[in-house]
Amino acid sequence: MSIEPEPLIEVCELRKYFPISCGLFARKIDQIKAVDGVSFRIFRGETLGLVGESGSGKTTVGRTLLRLIEPTSGQVLFEGEDFRTVKGPKLRSMRRRMQMIFQDPYASLNPRMRVEELIGEPLRVQGELRRDAIGRRVSELLDIVGLPGELRTRYAHEFSGGQRQRIGIARALALSPSLVVCDEAIASLDVSIQAQIVNLLEDLQDRLGLAYLFIAHDLGMVRHISDRIAVMYLGKIMELSDRNEIYRQPLHPYTKALISAVPVPDPDVEAVRGRIVLEGEIPSPAEPPSGCVFRTRCKYASSICSSKVPEFREIKPAHFAACHLIEKIEAGSGD
Amino acid sequence: MTDLLRITDLKVSFRTEVGTVHAVNGVSYTLSDGEVLGVVGESGSGKSVHALAIMRLISPPSGTIDGGEIRLRELDLLSLDEASMRRIRGREVAMIFQDPISSLNPVLTVGFQLLETLQLHLGLSRAAATQRASELLNLVGISEAVRRLSSYPHQLSGGMRQRVMIAMAIACEPKLIIADEPTTALDVTIQAQIIELIKRLQREMGLTVIWISHDLGVIAGLARNVNVMYAGHVVERGPVRSIYKSARHPYTLGLLGSVPNLGDFSGRLKSIPGRPPDMSNLHAGCPFLPRCAHATSQCVTAMPPIDIVDGDSHAVRCWNWRTVAGIKSL
Repeated sequence: MSIEPEPLIEVCELRKYFPISCGLFARKIDQIKAVDGVSFRIFRGETLGLVGESGSGKTTVGRTLLRLIEPTSGQVLFEGEDFRTVKGPKLRSMRRRMQMIFQDPYASLNPRMRVEELIGEPLRVQGELRRDAIGRRVSELLDIVGLPGELRTRYAHEFSGGQRQRIGIARALALSPSLVVCDEAIASLDVSIQAQIVNLLEDLQDRLGLAYLFIAHDLGMVRHISDRIAVMYLGKIMELSDRNEIYRQPLHPYTKALISAVPVPDPDVEAVRGRIVLEGEIPSPAEPPSGCVFRTRCKYASSICSSKVPEFREIKPAHFAACHLIEKIEAGSGD
Repeated sequence: MTDLLRITDLKVSFRTEVGTVHAVNGVSYTLSDGEVLGVVGESGSGKSVHALAIMRLISPPSGTIDGGEIRLRELDLLSLDEASMRRIRGREVAMIFQDPISSLNPVLTVGFQLLETLQLHLGLSRAAATQRASELLNLVGISEAVRRLSSYPHQLSGGMRQRVMIAMAIACEPKLIIADEPTTALDVTIQAQIIELIKRLQREMGLTVIWISHDLGVIAGLARNVNVMYAGHVVERGPVRSIYKSARHPYTLGLLGSVPNLGDFSGRLKSIPGRPPDMSNLHAGCPFLPRCAHATSQCVTAMPPIDIVDGDSHAVRCWNWRTVAGIKSL
């Protein structure tokens, strides 16, 4: 038997509830279950894709992972240490190992800072390098992300979206992290620029051994870049498996519908494929349905689905899903 | 089949602080009755601006239509005065925008906005218009239509708002519908619902549709013909299958290579180097030149003419399309 490698990060039963408050004294009247019991692992050098519709909680997962938001409960083990309980210098040194690339390269870069200041800022904050060493590191980083060195004294507004995203990537890489959370990092870019940035992210992964949590709603791109994919719906992971397995043999009814909804850039394929069009919309995370959260839009839903929360279980080797009826659905489809 | 729309050498520019932006630089095409045309291109390619020009929604003094002709059947749209144009908008040509929350008036109910269109264009009485409005909401798949008429836009979800926009667009049974990225702001499962809806309406009502999108997947499943736009030009045009299966323009090929392929997920994306041109500072010659791997000296001096690739209305604007295609087949 092979020994399973130790995961870089392990997330257990992560929960984040946001309070809904009301009135003069901000009385808490209810809560939004943005993330409700999410568990997964990411290994060194691996890309885990996290997909889901808006409101599924994928961004909150990314942010709680880095403790940009404090989780309500659950455990985040980074290299075996509980990231939730560390404090002070220890926390700071752990933080540098996990970085984030944001969606909007317009909003996430300070317009009053030059490129070299933007990229050098994390190095200054961590305070380990001298000024001239920071300068050298900035040049190195500009080179890594494919920006000409002479642009270092420019301001962010002088750059196009794709170039800004390169600056964002250089900033994230400044402290040599081992995990980078990419939160819709290519969503605001044009198609041809998206491809450039995805290629860059893949090159950097090969070169630097990075692990990515790649959060996106574009399933085509997620399948391209990820090793494994987790599908989220209303704060829960519905299915998790190898990227090809999940596309070829999706088990969860939601994953099936999601994949069938993605348009394929091939008119021959589009002409013949059957599309599962889901009825209705994602319910409010303030009042998630009882039992299985997907049951209100699921055509297979039966009485057990409303009474019992389905367990997230391994249905095939390394293929997990949370649905009571998978065996029944698979047997019924017959093909 | 007769031509519904004929655009000839359309040019649109905007005056800005950084100079004149040449957004559309000589677009020509025809659209037949019942056709679904997909227009693809990246931001700044002129795809939305050319649509706004059809609606005559380019407002001077900053934006001007500098030349060309837009004919809707015999009607010369660019020569109409504003009052006549107002009768065309909504009645003959209707538009669905990307962002329904900013295109609907937030302080008026959905019903008020729908009724306004119906009463104004069709001269219906209030009762008849109300009846028709709830029929329309039913048609676009909104349940409890009568109750929804008194909802405000913010009470509806993104998908519902887009359905309302579609109801407003089809309210007067226009001949032509221009949909500008109508599903871009929506989640994929909702996008699938809206695409199915517009497909159904197109079939049932025989609508002619111009569907603008940056998403090659959406266009593949919808369009009969495709215009690929770059820097204010239609650089390639043809039946959907010719464009996706035997593209000739290096930009179209680059765009198709930039999206992950169904079969092969291991390779690198082909991506196009560089970035779109500065539209306020265009040079003579082909605007794709700085990003093109096939450029020759000819490309520097003049914009290539429209060449017919083969008999089936597949046209391309590239000096070297023959060699580009040759390289591809190697």
